[in-house]
Amino acid sequence: MLSRRTFIKTALASNAALLTTPSQALQLLFDNSQAQPLLVFADETALNAKDFISGVKNDGANLGLDIGRHFDLLATFCKDSPNGQIMGLTRDSDFFVLEQLAKDFGFYTSYSASHRYDGQTLTHQVTAAEEPATIITTSLTKAGEQWPAWLAKNLLALPQKHQQTITTKSQLNVANAEPHDFLVSWSLSTSKSI
Amino acid sequence: MTKPLPQGISLGQFNAAIAEIEKVVGKQYVFLDDVTELRSYRDAYNTTNDADFAPSAAIAPKNVEQIQKILAIVNNYKIPIWTISTGKNFAYGGPAPRKAGYIVLDLKLMNRIIEVNEKHGYAIVEPGVSYYDLYNYLQSKGIKLWIDCAAPAWGGFVGNTSDHGAGYTPYGDHLLMQCGMQVVLADGTIVETGMDTTANSKSGALYKYGQGAAIDGLFTQSNFGVITRMGMWLMPEPPGYTPFMITLENERDLEIVTDLTLPLRLNQVIHNAPMTVDLLWESAMSVSKRQYYTGTGPMPDSNRKKMAKDLDLGIWNYYAAVYGPEPMMKNNMEIIRDTFSQIPGAKFHFDDTRKGDPGWDYRVKLMKGEPNMTEFSLLNWIGGGGHINFSPISAADGKDSMKQYEMIRKRAHEYDFDYIGEFLIGWRDQHHIFMLMFDRMNAEEKKRAHELFAVLVDDAAALGYGEYRTHLSFMDQIAGTYSWNDNALWDTHHALKDELDPNGILSPGKMGIWPKNLRGNS
Repeated sequence: MLSRRTFIKTALASNAALLTTPSQALQLLFDNSQAQPLLVFADETALNAKDFISGVKNDGANLGLDIGRHFDLLATFCKDSPNGQIMGLTRDSDFFVLEQLAKDFGFYTSYSASHRYDGQTLTHQVTAAEEPATIITTSLTKAGEQWPAWLAKNLLALPQKHQQTITTKSQLNVANAEPHDFLVSWSLSTSKSI
Repeated sequence: MTKPLPQGISLGQFNAAIAEIEKVVGKQYVFLDDVTELRSYRDAYNTTNDADFAPSAAIAPKNVEQIQKILAIVNNYKIPIWTISTGKNFAYGGPAPRKAGYIVLDLKLMNRIIEVNEKHGYAIVEPGVSYYDLYNYLQSKGIKLWIDCAAPAWGGFVGNTSDHGAGYTPYGDHLLMQCGMQVVLADGTIVETGMDTTANSKSGALYKYGQGAAIDGLFTQSNFGVITRMGMWLMPEPPGYTPFMITLENERDLEIVTDLTLPLRLNQVIHNAPMTVDLLWESAMSVSKRQYYTGTGPMPDSNRKKMAKDLDLGIWNYYAAVYGPEPMMKNNMEIIRDTFSQIPGAKFHFDDTRKGDPGWDYRVKLMKGEPNMTEFSLLNWIGGGGHINFSPISAADGKDSMKQYEMIRKRAHEYDFDYIGEFLIGWRDQHHIFMLMFDRMNAEEKKRAHELFAVLVDDAAALGYGEYRTHLSFMDQIAGTYSWNDNALWDTHHALKDELDPNGILSPGKMGIWPKNLRGNS
């Protein structure tokens, strides 16, 4: 059973951060001292994703509008890192496509959350196993408008196990919803590789 | 969670069948876990209950021999299987089966490019070959042939052609460009069509018909066999390519532009299928709805006009291309300019001024067969964008364009949805694609989208329009609109089904074709 303490502890556990900047200047940043390869997708055209990126690594990341340009990268990572984890803060359509492709390599969704602005309200809707779903929802809410930074900081603690999921929801008022668009954060990890 | 099972099959029978299938394909190619593996065989864009289309298992054979063995097993247990190739036809059901409990027969591992013939311009591929696969293969070998891909392009040749899909180069009518196929029938018999059935034939992908009835079409949008190989004609890379776009200012320009296009298409002045794309479709490539409208319901006209001005787009945006040697392209473009300049306010756009615009860039790629996924971007128009496509066919006639547009837009607005659509003019017909976009995380919106779609099928039928392809949920309803002469067409389909697949194991219900044991329940 995952407790809040172990959850946070897991967040601090050693890992490798592989931040993709899949535009022309694709950068693959490995930290060889770490155990688990990590592939992170983010979309710097979205303001919140920029905050997220800066929390993960001090490099810009840009998915662009054609997610197809990153298929090879995804396939290579999945083949080379069957114990790896793929994460993102992206547009919903990009998540949808990557999720579909990753399943052919045995990578499945272990966590996903939508982050939606409507008027002055920000709604987080988290789908994960029961305990992490509750913790993440609470944490995102507490983080207020800094939720992308919270996600970046706790990236490595996002659920990797594949269990029956629930969906939890929280809403909070924000000062300025105008510049923000709908984004999803998500995590894919292996169940069975073929 | 209760395991979805095929109708009339016990868990014991199911498990026994799966154990036998595992011996054929190997355990690692049998997918049973509902939480992980089978989630990806569901239709994320369905408008009803996710469980309505939940498979019991998925299996991935590697070759024809394994398919034959699987068919023997499921025939024995009378378990239905649902065949997919790459399973990417989202908006029409994706990889999900017509009913819960079917086993998905996933042909993704049969992904060999068997032959590419540059001289004669064709390729022979297996069902798991995607557009990207063949494009990358041609590029890596320096072969000067173009593919014609769907948008978005992550699907494959066999699946898209089998579903009567279309593309954007002059070879965009995919079934027309298909030549020769190999099919495994329900009893395991392997059939080659056309010339491939003669000994030592070298012309299987060159001449479509052979001798006797040409039966290739029988295996498309149907469930009479499992296609395991297909020949496709590929377009030689032309010496020149000139894509263009015309922005049009008024709603009624749709009628004029359709009528002006037909003679240009019939006489091959325009070589590919021109697309007349509405403002929202085009805008959604680069902006989201809430950047221009934060209210509920469809975007008001005043906001649309502002968006059109900001993005330098028309209310309609017309894309097409000419191909060939420079003098020919120049000649054709002169005719095209003269023709469309008759429309007040029509403005031509080319690469020199439009490059960098997302809508332009991806259309330019599509019209030369370069696969990309940019069209998926438009799903971000609203947050969590799911969609199903309503796709009626009509004559390429301006009055039909307007009649369909006005009917669908009015209905969409009644149900509080935006009209997002495009018209593609084929050889003489036109496909109208209305992308019914909804928030896939909003149950009420999904329900409303479902109701709207059902109403549109009836409205279109009343005006004499039938759909060319549809989502799982509406296959039966649309089949019911093709009912002339007391359902003679469906009686013929069903007679063939009963003869070729007496146990009803192959994709029951595909496009409304049901085996006799399930017909009463459909």
